[in-house]
Amino acid sequence: MNAIVLSGDAETAVRDAAAEGESLWLSPGDLARATGWEWKPEGLCRGTACVPAPQGAAAADWARGTGKDLRVNLTRLARHLGQPVVASPEHGVWAVGEASEDVGDRLRSLEAPDFTLPDLEGRRHSRSDFRGRKVFLLAWASW
Amino acid sequence: MITVALDSAGAAAAGEWIRAANPTHPSLIDVHYEVATRYNMVNVPTAVWIDEEGRIVRPNEVAFADNRWIEYTKFDMTRYLAAVRDWVAKGPESAFVRPTGERRKRLPLPTAEHALAAANFRLAEHLHTAGLPEVAVPFFKTAQRLHPESWCYKRQAWALTDAEKYYGTSFQKEVKALGGRPYYTPLDFPDERAHP
Repeated sequence: MNAIVLSGDAETAVRDAAAEGESLWLSPGDLARATGWEWKPEGLCRGTACVPAPQGAAAADWARGTGKDLRVNLTRLARHLGQPVVASPEHGVWAVGEASEDVGDRLRSLEAPDFTLPDLEGRRHSRSDFRGRKVFLLAWASW
Repeated sequence: MITVALDSAGAAAAGEWIRAANPTHPSLIDVHYEVATRYNMVNVPTAVWIDEEGRIVRPNEVAFADNRWIEYTKFDMTRYLAAVRDWVAKGPESAFVRPTGERRKRLPLPTAEHALAAANFRLAEHLHTAGLPEVAVPFFKTAQRLHPESWCYKRQAWALTDAEKYYGTSFQKEVKALGGRPYYTPLDFPDERAHP
């Protein structure tokens, strides 16, 4: 089946996905495209951070198949990392959020979280572009 | 100055306001509420003061440019603008810059429920934009239930559809239901601390 994985501002279309309830099984290539996590012999890695590959009975819940048939359970991985997953399987959409611990730790550091967003003309700006200047950040809405 | 419009409908909703203001600062549009999620903002307008090193000097707080919403803020915003100018002039010596321990206490740290609410909201706004507004409603409702302090989740969802029909409520009804409790978290100002 085709599915869409939402993560931050990213929206990744994946093919050859398989859904079982809220579980979404993806090829390692699609998992990496959708989340940045790569399936390696030592486990799941993003950048220098790795989660050891689960062993024993739990392993079947994380990954199945071999070679080109290898599929990894996105929902299981995300929840292991403390990231919430919400799905509308009948519409083929999965949303993966940020872990509250990660958001909280970043705020507690008092380092202002970065973001990159477009203006009305589509030009993208980041909070970090303003280093060396004071920033008065103001969120508003039309509603 | 950076302004961020939290608007699922993007330029279609925020564009006319930005064009009318014709700002010289970056005026950005946040369709997916990324800034709201990362700063755990629950209402608008919300300001954050960030110093030259990129550190939060004053966390989330209500900030209007004038007093037209004073019934909701219960605060004279000319004092707020003066405080911003004081910070711009004096930097860390400004009385409005709080010690780091005090800043951390004021941070709105998200719970696991808040994170789950954000994921529900992200899914809901995607479904709504994809042309499935009625499919989106239960996910908007879940986000509202998991993060009841968030007026963003309520008001955005109501604005996208017929609030009375799908949510059985309205902004006016919800404000009335506060029964005198503040709509905005009161500002943390030196005078307020000295004379509670």
